[in-house]
Amino acid sequence: MSIATTTGDKGRAASAARPRLYRRRSPMRRKLFPYLLVMPAVVYLLGITLYPGIYAMVQSLFRVRFASWQFIGLDNYQKLFSDPEFWASLWNTFVIGASALALQFVIALTLAAFAYRDPWVRGWRIVFLLPMLFMPSAVSFIWKLAFNDGGVVNDLLMGAGLISSPLDFLGNTWLARLSLVITDVWQWTPFLFIIFVAALQSQDMEIEEAARLDGARWRQIFFNISLPMIKPIVAVALVLRGIDIVTMFTSVFIITGGTPGGATETVSYFIYRNGFKRFDFGYASAASVVLLVATVILAQTFVKRFFKSGRD
Amino acid sequence: MPMKGGSLLTRRSMLRSGAVLGAAAGFGGVSLVSVSRGFAADLPDPAKVLAEINVGKYVKADYRKQYGLADDELLWDPKKDWIRTVDWEKVRSEFAGKTVKFAIGAADAESAQDGLKPFEQLSGMSVELVPIPDDSLYDKVVAEFVSGNASFDALQFFSPWLGDFAGQGFLAKLDEFAEKWKLPLDDFYDTYKLNYGYWGGQGLYGIPFDCDIQQVHFRPKYFKEVTGGSIDTKNTIKTYDDLIKFSGELNKAGKGVAGIGLMGGRGFWSTYTWEHIAAQYGMDLFNDKWEPVFNGDAGVKALETILALQKNAPTGIAGWGWAENRAAWLGGQLASNISWQDSGTQATRPDQSKISDDVLTIYEPRVSGGRFAPPNIAGSTSVVTATSKNAEGAFLMLGFLTTASIMAMNEANANGVAPGYRSVLANPNLRKVSQPAEVWATELDYAWCAPRLPGMFEMEQALGNEINKAIVGQSSPKEALDAGAKAWKEIMDKNGFYGGKPPVDFAAVADATWVGKGKTPPV
Amino acid sequence: MKSLKHRAPSKILRLAILGAWALFCVLPILWFLSIGLRPRTEIILPQPLYWPTWTIDAWNMIWSDWPMGYYLRNSIVAVLGSVVIDLLLAIPAAYALARYRFKLREDIGFYILSTRMMAPAVVAIPIFFLFRNLGLLDTVWALMLVYAAMNLSLVTWIVRSYMLDIPPEIEDAARTDGATDLKILVLIIVPMCLPGIITAGVIAIIFGINEFLFTLLIASTKSAYTLSVALANFTGGSDGVIYNAISMVAFLAFMPVLVLLIAIQNHLSRGLTMGAVKG
Repeated sequence: MSIATTTGDKGRAASAARPRLYRRRSPMRRKLFPYLLVMPAVVYLLGITLYPGIYAMVQSLFRVRFASWQFIGLDNYQKLFSDPEFWASLWNTFVIGASALALQFVIALTLAAFAYRDPWVRGWRIVFLLPMLFMPSAVSFIWKLAFNDGGVVNDLLMGAGLISSPLDFLGNTWLARLSLVITDVWQWTPFLFIIFVAALQSQDMEIEEAARLDGARWRQIFFNISLPMIKPIVAVALVLRGIDIVTMFTSVFIITGGTPGGATETVSYFIYRNGFKRFDFGYASAASVVLLVATVILAQTFVKRFFKSGRD
Repeated sequence: MPMKGGSLLTRRSMLRSGAVLGAAAGFGGVSLVSVSRGFAADLPDPAKVLAEINVGKYVKADYRKQYGLADDELLWDPKKDWIRTVDWEKVRSEFAGKTVKFAIGAADAESAQDGLKPFEQLSGMSVELVPIPDDSLYDKVVAEFVSGNASFDALQFFSPWLGDFAGQGFLAKLDEFAEKWKLPLDDFYDTYKLNYGYWGGQGLYGIPFDCDIQQVHFRPKYFKEVTGGSIDTKNTIKTYDDLIKFSGELNKAGKGVAGIGLMGGRGFWSTYTWEHIAAQYGMDLFNDKWEPVFNGDAGVKALETILALQKNAPTGIAGWGWAENRAAWLGGQLASNISWQDSGTQATRPDQSKISDDVLTIYEPRVSGGRFAPPNIAGSTSVVTATSKNAEGAFLMLGFLTTASIMAMNEANANGVAPGYRSVLANPNLRKVSQPAEVWATELDYAWCAPRLPGMFEMEQALGNEINKAIVGQSSPKEALDAGAKAWKEIMDKNGFYGGKPPVDFAAVADATWVGKGKTPPV
Repeated sequence: MKSLKHRAPSKILRLAILGAWALFCVLPILWFLSIGLRPRTEIILPQPLYWPTWTIDAWNMIWSDWPMGYYLRNSIVAVLGSVVIDLLLAIPAAYALARYRFKLREDIGFYILSTRMMAPAVVAIPIFFLFRNLGLLDTVWALMLVYAAMNLSLVTWIVRSYMLDIPPEIEDAARTDGATDLKILVLIIVPMCLPGIITAGVIAIIFGINEFLFTLLIASTKSAYTLSVALANFTGGSDGVIYNAISMVAFLAFMPVLVLLIAIQNHLSRGLTMGAVKG
């Protein structure tokens, strides 16, 4: 696994990573130093997450009913893997999550491409960032009101003559999912946008200049030079956003509740529902362990691949 | 925070040693302030405090004006109003200085806050309110119970949870207290007493708080506008077929107003709508062996009725819970509505509703060959935790909050908390301010209610998810109900119902399910 | 900045696309503001109302009926505190992950990332127990600790990405001059990736302000309830969803963050041109 093999030589054209040279430290101290740097963070995280993490894993092996625990081994997992609602929630998470992530990636990249050389970029930046500054639960309410309760989206669409009768954003599977996708895209595209803009702006202008003087057109420059050079940071941003999307919960909770018939129930909501509405905490824990393992595996492979191709 | 048990304080011992004040204060600024307020000055005369619990002080000015209510208007029967029959001096002597921690849904917190000041004055106790966002009330409560030592003395929650909590032993038994302090339990309509108060034939575990029923509401003026005819409570919509027919006509008018509204959201919302209609078709949830039998004919026909009504309903009902339905009804998006009685009351208030002069609640439509069984669904009950160190004090507080006068004034304020007393709902003055009251009161003697079994909350959710699938067309009515029955069997099994000794004795609760059994319906 | 416009995509196209998205960002916000500034009966209607009767009733209501000042204070304190904790922990960790090769690097890096992957619904109850045993229930400190743990991975990885950007030659130069590693970190690296640090901080603030489930379980009185829970007070129970109140609470939370962003954005742009400076 090589998250670390790139060393951010984005400012230079082709030089490979250079090993660090420590001339003055004793070998022992030299070795220990990085550990000392990460130790506070790691210890802190362990302190807070170790107990809950182990608690959840242990709990997944029990049938938990309020305060009484009954050991049932891997029963929860067995039931989980044969539970169509669980697989459905995985599928939903994938469909909704992938669409949202893809959409916001494309939009953010397009916007960043158009904006980063713009002298007005500071102004654009604030406006584009606004959606992200709102509490996500408030954003969910905004779109709940717009799509459903207040009928605004339908009203606008009908007013523009695009549809003749109201769309059912809660009863139609794809429309319900779309409403969640739009909510996520509206709020989080800025996140990717500012990261991409910062990345594009921090590139060395020399390379671009050189290419331009060679007669390359803007599109060629962008796709063949700028984009590959910011790949690592793009990958990090996508991974971070991806993890959040996989645990998508708030908008499902507020806007659809999983309707119609569970078609918008994401894994996080499935876990919540099993824990807090069916009080089957053992089952919910099992599901979250599975989710955790899946996310870890996905993140690992994705990150590995992206970083490998990011070099050069 | 753990509750510190207060030592027994009497006024005499207080005056003897000032240090006791510090000891009794315990935790948090609230208690300290209340205690010193209670003892630094003398507690006011109970009679004076009680005299202030009246319409003039409790009911919103707008509403008093709207209905021409006098400050001392009697919307209840003073003889049945518990707070006026209690010996408050006796209460003070036993409880002054103690504290009660009360967890309550945030939306109801305001009405409880105001209501509790007089209680503190009357009893000498201090109350610490803990408002919790309603959608997460259960999560918080569950966490507290799971910890094995809930930090609240009293809770008010959704009555279907009664079985879950009582069954696990989290609640204190209240029979003794009710006996000692003469709580007027018999003034409650049977359906509330038996389903929200007593549990499983094992005793009194709750005091009914928000006493609910689902009804059918119409807009007479809009009705006339569209169909040209008038509508009354008994004769226009006699059957569910009538309802389908008329809602269809009303739906054709367009202009953003749909023919009918109903709740079809996932989870218990769909279950409640279906139970409402299925009860009229004669559906029984269980047989005497506690096996689910609701997926028979009656149940299926009811679900088919829902699908027929859906055609005349707005898009999106598949995601509607009470909040969405209420908002649509009050906002004028519906010509008729199947929902709780507060749809009938709140709609009459101009500051909450756009249809305030256009509301009529009708008698439950029937089904030929079916039952007259208006559904008593959801609502809330108030309980005392088993681990409370001040159970009796908490009980007194709940008795205060649920007393007839305060409940009647809740209804006058249209704040969603509904009275369940005969003496209140039959009161002619109350009926003037509560549009559905007459129909509601009559219907209660025939009410249908689902049994409060342990696991019922989970079962309602599971069934609702299946019904929701049928509503969105992902399964047929029969398939949905069959899947629901299967899920119920699993849940009942998990809770030990079929192992030989069921958690709840069937005979003890069967009568509470339909109190209209054997009686002649009024329509 | 050099002018490259003659080779850039057409100005009109650019304006159109950026403009369209800007409108898409701003219009819902303005509309939601209008929802907050109107009476409740004008929110849900057969036909939506776009220009309502303006009133600040909802704003007054949230302040008079609820201890909104406390909620705001708690949100600010808990979130800022958590960001401070995060930065203190993340900057050294990010530096180690960015610059050094050591045996457990990838594993530790991944562990930090993975703490974000645990579904809150499941760890909520053990976290509740944890803080109960520590006696920290209903305090802002507990919230601070939880938010910090939640966002640490994000902050670390964002800062790390910015650190990777810095040309290693600068560090080499400093080292040849005799600076210790620690001094390099504090006096050189940190100032140079300030935009990244600030970005990470702002993002952590946004996530912290919204955290709901842990806050719900840990807090029980106004000494610890935050704006996110305050929002939830208006969404259920016998009064239904009170949209105008929700809008006002949302804007209440939004304002400080916006002000913060505007205040620091100079830092952001100054730092962002660093890459163009040849070193």
